[in-house]
Amino acid sequence: MSEWVVRQKIRIPFRYTAGRAMARFLTGLAERHLWATRCESCGRVYVPPLGFCGRCWREITEWRELPAEGELVSYTVRPTEPPQILGLIRLDGADTQLVHRLGEVEPKELEHVRRVRAVWREDRTGSILDIAYFAPVR
Amino acid sequence: MSRRVAIIATGQTKHTARRPDVNIRELVTEAVARALQDADLTMRDIDAVLLGNMEPFEGFLFPELWAIEGWGGYMKPSVKFNTGGTVGTTTAIAAYYYVASGIYDVVMAVGFQKQSEGHTQTAITTVGDPIWERSVMAGAIGNFAVMATTYMHESGVTEEQAAKAAVKARRNACLNEYAHLQMPDITVEDVLKSEMLAYPVKRLDMCPQSDGAVAVIFAEESKAQKLCPRPAWVKAVATAHEQQYMGDSPKRLAEMRSLIAASRRAYQAAGITNPRRELDVAEIYEVASFAELAMYENLGFCERGQGGKLIDAGVTELTGELPVNPSGGVMSTNPIGATALIRVAEAALQIMGKAGRRQVEGARTALATGYGGNAWTDVIILSREKP
Amino acid sequence: MSEESPTLRVDFLLDTEYQYAVGQYGTQFFTELRDRARFMGVRCPECGRVYIPPRPVCGICYRELHEWVEVGPEGTIVGWTVVRIPFIDPMTGEQRPVPYGFAIIRLDGASTSLYHFLDETDERQIRVGQRVRAVFREKREGSLRDVLYFRLLGE
Repeated sequence: MSEWVVRQKIRIPFRYTAGRAMARFLTGLAERHLWATRCESCGRVYVPPLGFCGRCWREITEWRELPAEGELVSYTVRPTEPPQILGLIRLDGADTQLVHRLGEVEPKELEHVRRVRAVWREDRTGSILDIAYFAPVR
Repeated sequence: MSRRVAIIATGQTKHTARRPDVNIRELVTEAVARALQDADLTMRDIDAVLLGNMEPFEGFLFPELWAIEGWGGYMKPSVKFNTGGTVGTTTAIAAYYYVASGIYDVVMAVGFQKQSEGHTQTAITTVGDPIWERSVMAGAIGNFAVMATTYMHESGVTEEQAAKAAVKARRNACLNEYAHLQMPDITVEDVLKSEMLAYPVKRLDMCPQSDGAVAVIFAEESKAQKLCPRPAWVKAVATAHEQQYMGDSPKRLAEMRSLIAASRRAYQAAGITNPRRELDVAEIYEVASFAELAMYENLGFCERGQGGKLIDAGVTELTGELPVNPSGGVMSTNPIGATALIRVAEAALQIMGKAGRRQVEGARTALATGYGGNAWTDVIILSREKP
Repeated sequence: MSEESPTLRVDFLLDTEYQYAVGQYGTQFFTELRDRARFMGVRCPECGRVYIPPRPVCGICYRELHEWVEVGPEGTIVGWTVVRIPFIDPMTGEQRPVPYGFAIIRLDGASTSLYHFLDETDERQIRVGQRVRAVFREKREGSLRDVLYFRLLGE
């Protein structure tokens, strides 16, 4: 049985639009602000912010700023060298959770970590990576 | 036995080359909100939502996921279709099946595409088989070009006759507030002088790439009669596909095998024996000017080889015997995931009497077609009369 | 919603490698092409169609295909074009060089046709029905690139 295989690439460049709510969130990050939106109907606070509540099917117009700190809900360690740690973070006041890197912490310390805060990069461009990582509040 | 189904409402965005002000979610929400408003319904009244979209143009795995809250997906039953250019009509036909089956009463079909975020000809080239076709193929433009030379040779159609279809489309589009390319002063000469993309297809012979979304609501008989003063009843639907390689049906415009098969099946189910006389309006999926003329022949609007003569005689103009694409068609507006569903929406608007300045007076029977994949076809016939 | 928010765009290059299996029928075809510079198709026992590319099943009759038949190396142009519009080639992520001519070519003896390059970019020299002949590379590796292009024959 022949197992002849042809290797070939697919390379296509894309340019995504952030949209209204996400644009404000991203530009806010450059200024070290964490913007969220709150649905007037169900009270859910979304971060990253949404302009539309899918559960209530209505537009959201209320914005609020959240602190760059919150609860570490969960985490996972990628077995790279050095290990990469990803965390699920619920910022104070948010109903949704953010995925981001965790830093200034060893994998074995993670089970004792309750609260984390954002550590900002010096050079910010309006990207989720303007937060370098979240570090434990000690 | 299946039950009667009608289209009761539609909603569209103003289609355009780029909508940098919205992301996919926001784009879809606009069309869905308009359809719900048109039906005077809320999202709670929709039993299921069916989606049509093509990922390779958006650049990530589930564009419908990214738009989900905009189309009402939270906790709702839903299925997503990607069948190339036919995706809009496939989604419409599926919505019809969902309601006709008796399992769902009110189903919304949504088609969308934010084409400006990717590279259309590049992505379409991946339709070509990687081992047999991809290194030669040049997107949809190249495909239509190689088909058009065969069609011109067999039918005797000229570039000038094809240009007339391009002119009709962009002029009709001026009457359609949602259309992308609106060119009130375009002439045949403008088309003939436009940049040659791949012989014989020139820039103005070809459809644009658009950002846009459309939503169409289907309902079962009693709800349709309650909610809509003049629903567009689904009289017949048909789908047909082709063989797998581009060269398997080499005369893909001259002899459109799947269009012939699907349209004859639909005509028979609808009791139509003379489509030119018995159809009042047609919204067909014409990717390029040459394709429109070829579709006249393959749809049986005229004899083989007479497509050019039909447009010369003005039969398919807005004021002619059988207006084709009063909306401006695909040549004026093409957000691929939405385009075929826009044909259905426009055909429904004609039946419902809501087509505004592009209304064909007294339209009672309308045809909508989808084209895509490797020359695949969908056909839908709508009527003012209940089937 | 705040209307003064600027529109942000985020760039992303989809860059993935695939490994496409050629299959048993493709292997037979490309082996013959590489080793003997000839094209092989398969014939349907029911309708008689000879298929290129070869494949396990006739899609129209739904019959298995086992009879191999040599086709070409000459053929006829069924449709053609000269691509002038630049576009990004998905195989490289770069512009594919234009202009280039290509055609739908029915090799002698085949019922279906192939896409391949022509060595001509002057639209006035090409027409439907024209005869062409495959020009093979000296060193072949078992792919359609073993054919450089099809040359226009005669008038």
